[in-house]
Amino acid sequence: MLLSLAPSALPIGIHHIEKRFGALSILSDLNLDVAAGEFLTLLGPSGSGKTTLLMILAGFVRANAGSIKVGGEEIITMAPHKRNIGMVFQNYALFPHMNVFHNVAFPLKQRRVSAADTKQRVDHALELVRLQGLGERRVDQLSGGQRQRVALARAIVFEPRIVLMDEPLSALDKGLREHMQIELRNLHRRLGMTTVYVTHDQREAITMSDRIAVMNAGRIEQIDQPETIYAKPKTKFVAGFIGESNFIPVECRNGAIWHENQRLRLSGPAPSAGRHLMVVRPEKLRLLANAEQAGDLNVLRATVGDIIYQGDSFICYAALKDGRQITLREYCRSDVLANLPAPGEPIALGIDASDIVLVADQ
Amino acid sequence: MKRKGNVRRAAVVGMVAFSIAGPATAADTITVASWGGTYQEAQTKAFFKPTAEALGITIKEDTTNGLDDVRLQVTGNAVKWDITELGADECARGSKEGLFEKLDYSVIDKSGINPKLVHDDWVGISYTSVVLVYRTDVFGDKGPKTWADFWDVEKFPGRRALSGSQPTETLSVAALAKGIPIDKVYPVDIEGALQSVDKIRNHVDAWWTSGAQAMQLVKDGEVDMASIWNGRAGTLRKEGAPISFSFDQGVLTADCMVIPKGSKNKDIAMKALAKFVSPDLQASLPLYVDNGPANEKAFETGKIPQERIKDINSSPENIGKQVLQDPQFWRDNLVEATEKFNNLIQQ
Amino acid sequence: MSAVSAGHEHAGRIDGTLNAAALRADTRRQALGFLALLSPGLFLVFAVIIVPVGWLFWLSLFDETGTLSAANYARFFEQASYIKTFMTTFKVAFVVTTACVLLGYPLAYLLSQLPRRAASICLVFVILPFWTSVLVRTYAWLVILQRKGLVNSWLIDHGLISQPLQLANNFTGVVIGMIHIMLPFLVLPLYASMKSIDIDCLRAGMNLGASPAATFRQVFLPLSLPGLASGVVIVFVLCLGFFVTPALMGGGKVIMWAMRMEQAASLYSNWGAGAALGVVLLAVTLSLLGLFRWLLGARAAGVWSSR
Repeated sequence: MLLSLAPSALPIGIHHIEKRFGALSILSDLNLDVAAGEFLTLLGPSGSGKTTLLMILAGFVRANAGSIKVGGEEIITMAPHKRNIGMVFQNYALFPHMNVFHNVAFPLKQRRVSAADTKQRVDHALELVRLQGLGERRVDQLSGGQRQRVALARAIVFEPRIVLMDEPLSALDKGLREHMQIELRNLHRRLGMTTVYVTHDQREAITMSDRIAVMNAGRIEQIDQPETIYAKPKTKFVAGFIGESNFIPVECRNGAIWHENQRLRLSGPAPSAGRHLMVVRPEKLRLLANAEQAGDLNVLRATVGDIIYQGDSFICYAALKDGRQITLREYCRSDVLANLPAPGEPIALGIDASDIVLVADQ
Repeated sequence: MKRKGNVRRAAVVGMVAFSIAGPATAADTITVASWGGTYQEAQTKAFFKPTAEALGITIKEDTTNGLDDVRLQVTGNAVKWDITELGADECARGSKEGLFEKLDYSVIDKSGINPKLVHDDWVGISYTSVVLVYRTDVFGDKGPKTWADFWDVEKFPGRRALSGSQPTETLSVAALAKGIPIDKVYPVDIEGALQSVDKIRNHVDAWWTSGAQAMQLVKDGEVDMASIWNGRAGTLRKEGAPISFSFDQGVLTADCMVIPKGSKNKDIAMKALAKFVSPDLQASLPLYVDNGPANEKAFETGKIPQERIKDINSSPENIGKQVLQDPQFWRDNLVEATEKFNNLIQQ
Repeated sequence: MSAVSAGHEHAGRIDGTLNAAALRADTRRQALGFLALLSPGLFLVFAVIIVPVGWLFWLSLFDETGTLSAANYARFFEQASYIKTFMTTFKVAFVVTTACVLLGYPLAYLLSQLPRRAASICLVFVILPFWTSVLVRTYAWLVILQRKGLVNSWLIDHGLISQPLQLANNFTGVVIGMIHIMLPFLVLPLYASMKSIDIDCLRAGMNLGASPAATFRQVFLPLSLPGLASGVVIVFVLCLGFFVTPALMGGGKVIMWAMRMEQAASLYSNWGAGAALGVVLLAVTLSLLGLFRWLLGARAAGVWSSR
């Protein structure tokens, strides 16, 4: 049936992809498996290779080596127009000389779908993106959000095996962007197509994805569910790129970890001996009225530098004994507000053993 | 108050302008315009310099594009020339339009000049001939000698060029091609001449619009035969181009000189013009250029070497072989004939 | 109620006249300021376009005796040669424009696809002829195309032809010479419009299942049409008024409108005769531009949208 839950959603296997521009390596030995029907986000800073990977998937950029299999079929040398992959471009790439209807009907026309069928499917696609009745509009008469929806309708109307999205929401303002994130998520749930989504916005990635592949300098640093990526970053880069993090150097010796001669409790097994970084999210730090309240918590002592009020929360910048800056975020509950320290005051910070993540200090 | 200031300013400007223009309008300077190029250089040597010396005046030179320039100056009340050269048919037309000053034949001696070229307000100055030129590398010495030969595409195959910008000359030539004897060409039977043009037009590869173009067409071998001005043909021969031409069945076209109406130095111009047409100075012209003198007494001065005389188109022996264009005829028939001619030669 | 209105009265007048006069004066001052900025341009347009064109029109209404008459216009119908010239002019303009489109479109396309650096080098070669005078270029063509010119000599030397081709001093010569002069006028606006086509639109076309050829036809070509249209208009209009090349390369057989103007003015001893030709050409050109505008306007309204 038309745009029903796609039983035909296909997995993508990306293996040993190499891409160089001259001497510059963009992607090196990149491997990634996307499950059928999965919403996978490629997240990374600009220059990390995520867009290049997307272009290789779509066929607009030729890799130097590697394999891309869609449902087991090798497509690495297939011409773009034969790949049957829907794509939503960053700037929408709508055809300015066609109205909304003809834009959405374009892929059906290429597939020689009958006029009646085309009409039905375009109408349905426009309805899915809540643009019903706007078929005769010119593209330049649409708002940014509407254009985004047209691009989306055009990318899914021909029931592609895979949908690629290249920062599709980056041109929208904040409110609309958050709204569209939900809509895209819901649409994906309804249609179930395998989706590869590129963004540099970590919040967007966390909101929308089944899994996130964090890319840096041409490789995938970590690929996991959003919760895992946030809570258990595997590398310093991932911890730093997703959310805010405090990095505190620690040393592991004799099966325990130490910060400045202070032994810290861990919930898991101790890592290998040597220097590590302890990753602590600002909201996981607790402001203790006194060290005796700590109980099972690890305690760090610091001096308040500045306190910045942000409405729903405040941020406290403090300095550890070694002078290292540490950031703490507390929500503005009345009990917290009542005991706010003043700048220059010594404070005690509590960390739950299970909130500590250790990453290699490279 | 304000008005007064303007008047005063205008007066100052006028005085400045006058003081600048002052020397140029001194009565001992006249301006003569001709066609430029080698022809005018020859005129400078033959006419202008000797006249300036003899009369003790300064002759400034300019170049003209023809009757349009004169009309523009006269109708615009901005006459800057005291004497200018024109084609004879232009003189006839300009005369009808009243663009020229009357000439004083008590100052200018007209004896020796063909009466057809002596008029109230214009006088002949020199002759150009339209001649038939052919390339000897194509035809040897057996090329087309008459216009009938030129028209005979069977006997003389090859590319041809005729003048497209001078219908008067081409129609005269076309009449000759029909076998009309040289003394019966004028008045031209225009319809008959056009029919003659119609016969040859599909075999004409180029209708030239300037002397330089005609020369280039022959020189580069773009055409094998052409109608061409004798001066240009002479230049080609001097440059060593393989060509042959004669004055047989040539069409003589006169040039004339006029004093534009409103000339500020009319009297001096009259004296200068009298010098230009005098046998003595006329005899100097063919020493520098192939255009023959308009005054036949020039050949009696002894200034022209005998071997040169046979190459001059207006010499007594050559003038009889040629048709003299009638300016008065073309004055009355030019427009109609040109329109029909233009229509005919367009692709 | 009364308390509210009293409050307003205290705050100031509410009948809509507070500072209204001053604001109106300010608006007027601003408008005058803009007008002042425009005045040099307006003056120039008036002095070099409106006045001369008006004068041209005025002149065309007088015959050679200076009396008001339609003689200069009646001539077009009385003399068959004018209709012929008119047809020739449009034929040349049409052939040259068509050839420029056929040659210029692929050229502009190639340029638009080249890397920026290579494209700017190639563009220099497109613009280079602009720096040479039309006269010189036309004579150069004569040297190349005439009977014993480079092309014919080469072809004969290589035994490809036995008789020289007639390439100059005819319609062919005029067209070749004019194509060379007109080509940049087509290529430059076309290149600019192609350069502004979003490459993602082309990617989208292919991504959505259109082969490269289909993408070109359905996406690139329609998006390049505005640039093509302006190039075509420029070339066509320039061709209509062209003088030098047809005069030198036409062998006197290809008479175009501008050549006719020159002939008419001197033949009839009257500027009006040439002016009337100018007025007719101007009117025809303006109607053509109007037609083009209408067609492009229709396109913008979606009439040409792909179906």
